[in-house]
Amino acid sequence: MELTADDEKFRAEVRAWLHANLHGDFADVVGTGGPGHEHEALDRRREWERRLGEGGWTGLGWPQDKGGRNLSLARQVIFHEEYARAGAPGRLGHMSEQLVGPTLLAFGTPDQQRRFLPGILDGSVLWCQGYSEPGAGSDLAGVRTRAVRDGDRYVLDGQKVWTSLAHVADWCFVLARTSGTRHAGLSYLLVPMDQPGVTVRPIAQLTGTSEFNEVFFDGAVTAADNLVGEEGDGWRVAMATLAFERGVATLGQQVGFARELDAVVERARSNGALADPVLRARVVDAWIGLEVLRCTALRTLQSAGDGVPGLEGSISKLQWARWHRDLGELAVDVAGELVTDGPPYELTDAQRLFLYTRADTIYGGTDEVQRTIVAERLLGLPRERA
Amino acid sequence: MTDSMKDTEQREMRRSVAAFLDRHAPMTAVRAAMTSADGYDRALWRRAVDELGVTALLVPERLGGLGLTLSDAAVVVEEFGRRLVPGPVLTTLAATAYLAGCGTPEADEVLTSIAELGLSVSVAVNGGTNVVHGAAVDLLLVDTGDDVVVASDVVARHRVALDQTRNLADVEFSGGRRVGGAGLPGPLWTLLAAESAAAARTCLDLTVEYLKTREQFGRPIGSFQALKHRCADHLVAVEGAASTAWRATREPGEVPAALAKAVCTDVFFAVAADSVQLHGGIGFTWEHDAHLYLKRAKANQLLFGSSRALRDLVGTRVGL
Repeated sequence: MELTADDEKFRAEVRAWLHANLHGDFADVVGTGGPGHEHEALDRRREWERRLGEGGWTGLGWPQDKGGRNLSLARQVIFHEEYARAGAPGRLGHMSEQLVGPTLLAFGTPDQQRRFLPGILDGSVLWCQGYSEPGAGSDLAGVRTRAVRDGDRYVLDGQKVWTSLAHVADWCFVLARTSGTRHAGLSYLLVPMDQPGVTVRPIAQLTGTSEFNEVFFDGAVTAADNLVGEEGDGWRVAMATLAFERGVATLGQQVGFARELDAVVERARSNGALADPVLRARVVDAWIGLEVLRCTALRTLQSAGDGVPGLEGSISKLQWARWHRDLGELAVDVAGELVTDGPPYELTDAQRLFLYTRADTIYGGTDEVQRTIVAERLLGLPRERA
Repeated sequence: MTDSMKDTEQREMRRSVAAFLDRHAPMTAVRAAMTSADGYDRALWRRAVDELGVTALLVPERLGGLGLTLSDAAVVVEEFGRRLVPGPVLTTLAATAYLAGCGTPEADEVLTSIAELGLSVSVAVNGGTNVVHGAAVDLLLVDTGDDVVVASDVVARHRVALDQTRNLADVEFSGGRRVGGAGLPGPLWTLLAAESAAAARTCLDLTVEYLKTREQFGRPIGSFQALKHRCADHLVAVEGAASTAWRATREPGEVPAALAKAVCTDVFFAVAADSVQLHGGIGFTWEHDAHLYLKRAKANQLLFGSSRALRDLVGTRVGL
């Protein structure tokens, strides 16, 4: 990616803004949020979302007439890199800005865009994603949550699961069944969370903490004009959203990876693990692996232009998830820590990385589902079922 | 030149090299060449010099060359490599890339003759063994560690290589003329990386085609998840590898080059080895081309410094 002098000026501007805010009003949120820390400082991070909006750091790639800044891909990458480098908090607005926002830009009516985009851009409204269900994980088309049209509204009954940030979100974008079976008959609905028909329950994870939730819809309602796309066209809309998710593996994410790797290297150096030829080889391979991720991201950006992220997203997901999970194993092997930091179950950084990265190859489409996508759609191999 | 202009130009170049090789170097010709006395088709080499300008490609314009870049050279190497075409194209391009960066009158003089006379070049970087096509080239560059010399009075002994598509020789020489300092391995590693990533992709594509057509249990075996998921993993690895080669051709340097060489050749080997397995019995025959990829992949992994040694070098250079 070729950066111009103006791009570098932009980088300086981003850096200065982040520095001023993260050393000023928001010094207390540095390093909060993200995997293993998602439960931290929720109120302050909500305020941080608003501050980002005020600063004009949301909707960077969105069109100007929708309130975005229409910045080049290079500048969006620069922002994400600097954001990660500054240790800025894990975004509560990730699903708002990266998932539902782009979906509304692509499929929303002008009225929906007017009603929902401003709240996403100014950071005042947070969203969560209601796709997976106990009986519909990898086989998402098996969604059973029902939405029944009742005059000018829909009434929802059913259960969603693995819903990150459902306990703080104001709205949920829900894939629900309005008719039929399988892919046909699914609809994409925007549902307010603050109502009697919605119950959120945290899920205790193998990490001992809770970042995901179950969401129960029990006669929950939403206005009929909160349907995105046509009734029954939800599968297409939802897949587009997933493609956005699979495509967001950015160079910014890799800045975070580099920080984690640095910590592993430092540990290996200080405790002598680096002197062990086998562990050193794994550390070197991890370093090389991150370079592979970086080169791939640069090459993809260079060749893709500003297009909608698509199938390359599956390749990228498989690539980084596996690398990151391996890093987690390496971290705990290097540290050799068998005991936690204490009760109730306070993990060390290495242990946290080890345990949290087990989720990387599962969420956002398991590795197995991604492999099938890559094999069938990119390599053209025949489907298993006739 | 902007990136997109460069991309368009390279796509055009790739098309013409591919058309050239489709016409002059089908697999039957590759097999004939690999067991010939020279180990490659000299007539094809001559055509590549005349029609593709392989000896002039990286020679600066002021010395009568085309003055193109390593990423352009990679395009040529990739197309030869994915078809396993034997010959001194890769070593000649790596040598001219190195010489073009020397800036010495001696290097300029050698470059001028290479471009003008269409000389084939090989390189010796591990003493006098495993010199690619060493018994059948016009010129030999020897890396002595600190310096690179053009060897004189070369005596080469042809060996039968494991990878018959890339002949090897033992060489002895009695003297030489210094042309420049260290730095010969960089372009060698980079081009071998580019070749390996491209050959890995072709090998994977051939395997995928087979899995689409071979039927067992009443359906194409490529529909079975156990096989298709392996192909998906290979594609992910190949894309990553190709990206390291892509970077190494654009950011020349010891670390990107060594890293790309290790990653690309390891991935090529994994793909080629699995290709034999995924082809089943037919993959174990002499008649099928799978073994040619397997052998080229293993040779690439070991040639000019093994993958493990280069990974180690990368680690050392970045302070690990």
